[in-house]
Amino acid sequence: MAEVDFERRLERLFAQSPDMPDAQAFAERVERRLDRGWNLRRWLIGAAGLAGGVVGASQLVMSNLFQRVESAEQSARVLSQGLARVTPTTDMVSALSGGYGLWIAVGLAFVTMGVFAARLVQEF
Amino acid sequence: MPGKSLSFASQHDVELCAYAAAGERRAFGELVRRHGSAVRNLLRRMGAQAAEADDVAQDAFLAAFERISEFRGEGTFTGWVKRIAARLYLRRLQREKRLAALAAEEGREEADAAAGLGNGGDADRRMDLEEAMKALSAPERLCVSMCYGAGLSHGEAAEALNLPLGTVKSHVKRGLDKLRARLAPNGEPNEGAVVEGRRSNG
Repeated sequence: MAEVDFERRLERLFAQSPDMPDAQAFAERVERRLDRGWNLRRWLIGAAGLAGGVVGASQLVMSNLFQRVESAEQSARVLSQGLARVTPTTDMVSALSGGYGLWIAVGLAFVTMGVFAARLVQEF
Repeated sequence: MPGKSLSFASQHDVELCAYAAAGERRAFGELVRRHGSAVRNLLRRMGAQAAEADDVAQDAFLAAFERISEFRGEGTFTGWVKRIAARLYLRRLQREKRLAALAAEEGREEADAAAGLGNGGDADRRMDLEEAMKALSAPERLCVSMCYGAGLSHGEAAEALNLPLGTVKSHVKRGLDKLRARLAPNGEPNEGAVVEGRRSNG
């Protein structure tokens, strides 16, 4: 019994920890490290998004997309001509056949890049 | 979600943990303010120097923040962080190949401790825990701190220290004997007491 009492006493002694004089400074150091880690993480996410946007846009513009779009336009034109015989031509089909599809895709890619850039600027 | 102006000082630990789990770093800062000293003291009692204890304590709090969603509030927040800190400190000792050296340190320190006990009067016996811990050898200090300061069982301590369970138990027993001799109240008999701790279930 005395043994258990001593162990409890020892646990109490271990639990009694007087506040250190620099407790506040210690907490601030930990908070700073937390903030630093958080900011770094956001930077990495933003940078990854930006890089992804750049890669996506460059792939879109630099690949043989123009040829593909042209062939797609031809297909769309043929399709729309075919459809015209059956139904009236819709605005969307005519927009695609007019070459707007490429510019819509490029525009979307730049908007995506812009969003990530704006996010980065907001954070810092 | 509370605004930044919310004062966390009046919140309970469990509530602060919930805020911290939602990403509120200021709430976690309040927890560090409350329990930082306890964690740092434990590490010092385990034998870490002040600067090293602070480094490990910081790492322990950062690890606790990362894993805050794992804290279910079943024990105290301090106890949870202390266990993380104790394990981090041991890992650091192992990484720097200091653990084996500490385990081999026993003989020299025991001689010092015996000398200290021999000429101590009643006033010495009422010394505080910090002073009493100095009488323990490094492995005894580690084992006693881990079991009674960080709340690990003998089995958990043995696993963390990578020592046989029996070795940990004997370190704890010897450590408790020395502490009992040093911390005994005035006049309390402490000779020949049998240590059969509550943690001996391993």
